[in-house]
Amino acid sequence: MPATSTISLSKAEKSYIQTGILSDPPFRADGRSLRAYRSVELETGVALLANGSARVSIGREGINSGGGTEVIAASKLEVEDLNEDGVEGGRIVCTVSCSPAAYPHLTSNALDELQEDISTILHQTLAHHSLHPNNLGILPGKKSWLLHLDLIVLSDAGNVFDAIFMSARAALWDTRVPRTRRITYRARKDHAEGQYHIDADENFSGFDTRRLAKATDFELSDYWDEGEVLDGRERWPVCVTLNVISQTHYLDATLQEEAATLLRLLLVYSFPPNSPPSLCGMRLVGGEDSALPDIKDFIKEGEQYAQELFISLDAKLREEDLRRKQKAYTKFARSR
Amino acid sequence: MEVLNADGYRSDGRRQFELRSITIDLAQHGAADGTATIVHGLTKVFVSVLGPREAKLRSLTIHDRANVNVEVNVAAFSSGERRKRAKSDKRVLEMASAIKSTFETIIQTNLYPRSQIDIYIQIIEQDGGLLQACINGTTLALICAGIPLVDFACAVTCGVYANSPILDLTTLEENDIPNMTLAMLPKTGSVNLTAMESRLHVDRFGDLFEVALGAGRVIHEEMKLAILAKSRMLVAEMKTIGWGEKDLVD
Repeated sequence: MPATSTISLSKAEKSYIQTGILSDPPFRADGRSLRAYRSVELETGVALLANGSARVSIGREGINSGGGTEVIAASKLEVEDLNEDGVEGGRIVCTVSCSPAAYPHLTSNALDELQEDISTILHQTLAHHSLHPNNLGILPGKKSWLLHLDLIVLSDAGNVFDAIFMSARAALWDTRVPRTRRITYRARKDHAEGQYHIDADENFSGFDTRRLAKATDFELSDYWDEGEVLDGRERWPVCVTLNVISQTHYLDATLQEEAATLLRLLLVYSFPPNSPPSLCGMRLVGGEDSALPDIKDFIKEGEQYAQELFISLDAKLREEDLRRKQKAYTKFARSR
Repeated sequence: MEVLNADGYRSDGRRQFELRSITIDLAQHGAADGTATIVHGLTKVFVSVLGPREAKLRSLTIHDRANVNVEVNVAAFSSGERRKRAKSDKRVLEMASAIKSTFETIIQTNLYPRSQIDIYIQIIEQDGGLLQACINGTTLALICAGIPLVDFACAVTCGVYANSPILDLTTLEENDIPNMTLAMLPKTGSVNLTAMESRLHVDRFGDLFEVALGAGRVIHEEMKLAILAKSRMLVAEMKTIGWGEKDLVD
């Protein structure tokens, strides 16, 4: 169970924040309404050696001012043998690590626990078979891709889960799977019947590769755009965290607000094209409980927020795609 | 591999003494007191400094000076092959201790007794010259955090290929030729770190050393420019809220 807060706050401060949120009209320290997010920045292609990467920050006030939650996500593909750890059709492993600079008050043990908690939530959601992309296989029955998604929390100013899911979605969106070509070794006809006919029939040897049929290996085809995108990349989910104080909920809590809130509800939604949205993850975090009818309302309203978040994230990702494609293309043209 | 071809070019098209492009970003990040992102070619390091502050563990305090704590994190996606290095990995610990011993002599720790200065280094991309990037980044982050230093520490990697010294190596070159990392203090011209993991003929060392000292000065100029730009920006900001020239100490 992730800790509800990583900082300590006095009782007076907590009650001040709670009263502000429960009052009518609600009042928050930064003047936002209950449903408003801080500004979100996103950039893809930040790690050059990765197959796909993104950097997301929530609530940074400007280029030169601090504050805000910052997450870097990067995916890396590795070839796996199905005889060893590999799974037919490939697999996805997500790991989150937290920089000690993001949590200056935590000891290294507490930090390890925290990153373990966050990793579990992310991995369980993203590695689910309903979201699995179809193009992670290389050679059926022999080789497949292993997609490592690594995230680093560089700083935490509240609402880290939303930032993590956003950056994960952006990095996966940005991921390019190298194109592969199957190679088949085939003995030439004239050879098989010509000079090699001596041990052709009954003396079957395991070393005789001429008898092995079908594709045995693959090669990478070289092309300027680094491969094709992950299949079904529109499906990757977004997360909205509903912070609950009695029956009221609010979005995008700052670190102080998180410390003053006893219950958080993480809702992870996927919006596949041409089909209804699906709830692919849900978690209650914190020491409070909530009535079942309330939870139902939260889920309904959460879908609305997630939809809005999804639409703006999608627009930004497509814009980034265009920008990067242009950049890659001009670079390629220049090298010619 | 041919590190330096007959025309005097290296595998990435640089000359023998040419450094890779350096990009420095001193923008504030998160809750840290000072942060710096430094890019040497394809090596990218993000350093945050917190402190001086109360130590997390009482046992870590030293009665007459500040304790310098260095933690290095290597991103799993930073290298060509994905590799997760644990915090207790020997190579990572060794690098952290080299950085710690470099900066313990430069930071005026005696000004902050019984406190701790935390240096957190996050390696985002690596392509050779890792220690060099970490040291340069840490110098910049410490300056941004306003921690008094005796001098800059400017580090550079150099190697020797067939009698000719080569500066600022990439991973390819690092794997191939004997190399060392040197950190120099430009004001005094002294050196407070030389790290070498390979064998080098003693006759070559002198040349290499001279070349590295010169390169350290060049890197110092770059770092100074970045710091000055940042300070100018801060001064401009201060003026907008009514601070005049006379309030500023030269």
